[in-house]
Amino acid sequence: MKRVLLITALVVGVALWLLYPRPYDWSLAKGMPTPDVPVNNPMSSVKVELGRWLFYDTRLSINGAFSCGSCHVQALAFTDGRRRAVGATGEVHPRSAMSLVNSAYASRLTWANSLTASLEDQALTPLFGDDPIEMGLGGREDALAELFTNDQRYADLFREAFPRQERPGTVINMVRAISSFTRSIVSFRSPYDAWLAGDATAISESAQRGEALFFSERLECFHCHGGFNFTDSTTHKDARVERFGYHNTGLYNLGNTGAYPADNPGLIDITGKRRDMGKFRAPTLRNIAVTAPYMHDGSIATLEDVIEHYARGGRLIEEGPNAGDGNVNPFKSEFVRGFELTEAEKRDLLAFLESLTDEAALSDPRWSSPWTEATAAGQPPESAEPQQR
Amino acid sequence: MKRSLLLILFTLSACESNQQQVSIAFNVEFNGQPIRCDSESPVALTDLRFFIHDLELTGADGTVVPTRLKRDSAWQNGAVAFIDLENGQGGCDDGTPESNARVIASVSSDSDLAGLQGLRFTLGVPFELNHSNLLEAAPPLDDAAMHWHWRSGYKFLRAGVETDNDSFWFHLGSTACQGTTGNISGCDSPNRPIVELAGFNPQTDSVVIDIGRLFDAVDLEDGERSDCSSGPTEQSCPPVLATLGLGPEASTIADGVFAARPRQATVSQ
Repeated sequence: MKRVLLITALVVGVALWLLYPRPYDWSLAKGMPTPDVPVNNPMSSVKVELGRWLFYDTRLSINGAFSCGSCHVQALAFTDGRRRAVGATGEVHPRSAMSLVNSAYASRLTWANSLTASLEDQALTPLFGDDPIEMGLGGREDALAELFTNDQRYADLFREAFPRQERPGTVINMVRAISSFTRSIVSFRSPYDAWLAGDATAISESAQRGEALFFSERLECFHCHGGFNFTDSTTHKDARVERFGYHNTGLYNLGNTGAYPADNPGLIDITGKRRDMGKFRAPTLRNIAVTAPYMHDGSIATLEDVIEHYARGGRLIEEGPNAGDGNVNPFKSEFVRGFELTEAEKRDLLAFLESLTDEAALSDPRWSSPWTEATAAGQPPESAEPQQR
Repeated sequence: MKRSLLLILFTLSACESNQQQVSIAFNVEFNGQPIRCDSESPVALTDLRFFIHDLELTGADGTVVPTRLKRDSAWQNGAVAFIDLENGQGGCDDGTPESNARVIASVSSDSDLAGLQGLRFTLGVPFELNHSNLLEAAPPLDDAAMHWHWRSGYKFLRAGVETDNDSFWFHLGSTACQGTTGNISGCDSPNRPIVELAGFNPQTDSVVIDIGRLFDAVDLEDGERSDCSSGPTEQSCPPVLATLGLGPEASTIADGVFAARPRQATVSQ
């Protein structure tokens, strides 16, 4: 009798353990906070996997030639190497593609939009926006729902990812899955992280000197690029206050009026407040060495030149339509005051920035295109297979 | 009990049958001339779609006639109506083949339709609906082309024309909003113009939007790309917004941007 009870208890226990929803495993480094996740889109590994197929699927574009991965290339920390991003139809975006790494921790998304606080909201702009066209999916909602229902792989994945829904193959679930995939891309495996964790040889002595410079009041870098994610627009599950910041770094000063170029005025375009002219969000510096060219418009080619820009306390453009001295831009951040740096110190600072590159994240198969495994050309198998007659 | 229930039911159905439908027609012109997506030179339409709400008609005695928007499965949801005056042809190839050139409203059956003599409506989507989630919205608010994801609301109006040398488009919507998507608390520039057409009678008149008057201050021959998406720093915007009575250069809606015109086609038949 006792044995029967014991076995019954064991069976019930195992059944409960199996049925109980497992918390999503972020594979975070020790001590790193858990990202804050919208209550209506909890993480699950199958949803992340669905998002991965969608993220790299070129059928999610106006002409079948383009996917999220076209502008967000894993090896480049999910940027595209261009000054300004180019959409499916060739339209040039006013701004540069941002890295998606650790966007799970971003309290605000994109370069200069204080309204956009979740990946789910942000995703609609590249997916459906028409000025410029990025993916160009507006008006294709029915065709997408059809694809998600009729394609066997998607039918299965959507059903597993959204098990309580009768008809899970919807556009809103597509957005949720892509957001979950993007949210899953976390990076804490850089040499600098290893050094912080106690491996004294993980970064060079030069990089260690560079770290000290980075966090010095002399250079002031850390005011905007501080914290575990090297940006002041960072939040997480246990954050007590909401932090986000936008900064004018003296990149432009058209006609010495404080103005930025008309196609990229910064936060003022959203808030309408004059004081927000030229203000952009500080991006994470994690993997910054692989995300050239730099700044919201890709107007600085190398990290060395970025350091020069900050050393001068703003950029001088001597002629042309954008002429003006950014150093005296009236809306410039108080932290961009300029500094003197020896050549050796500059090399140290660069060495530190390079130590933030997380090679494991840039090649992690969990975030690579699944389509390359299925097909040689990286195209969806349906279009790559020979026509059946 | 049973009797009172029957009475209520009877009253309810009586309410329904006490309504009569009014159809309000919309049309587009360019400086008083017809303009279509496939117009030949000098100017062709490339876009014209907009939302309206808070529709009111004026009765023969000058008082407001209670007016409700009908509900249908595509163009009207009871609070907002969507007018689409492009057909996806010619220069409107970013548009849709479906068009909708009328609003159906209901007024009390004892209203004298022939005596109606005024129309008033607000351009745009009301604040309560403007910041909802596009992907969860019902028609007509489910159209991604009419949504401004990055401004967290709808495009109230899309209008555009092209000439042989140039083109211009204008998107209107609320700007300078506070809060975050899903929690917008207000907008410094709501940008919802109120249109009033005195003397308008839906049986004999149609509402004309004159896109030439709307773009009166725009140089349509200089070949420079200078579109306006209602942004606070866009230099091309203030004169266009001003024609709708909006922005820093505005007072009231410019004469002729919206006008009442006799419904020739209908009247002559």
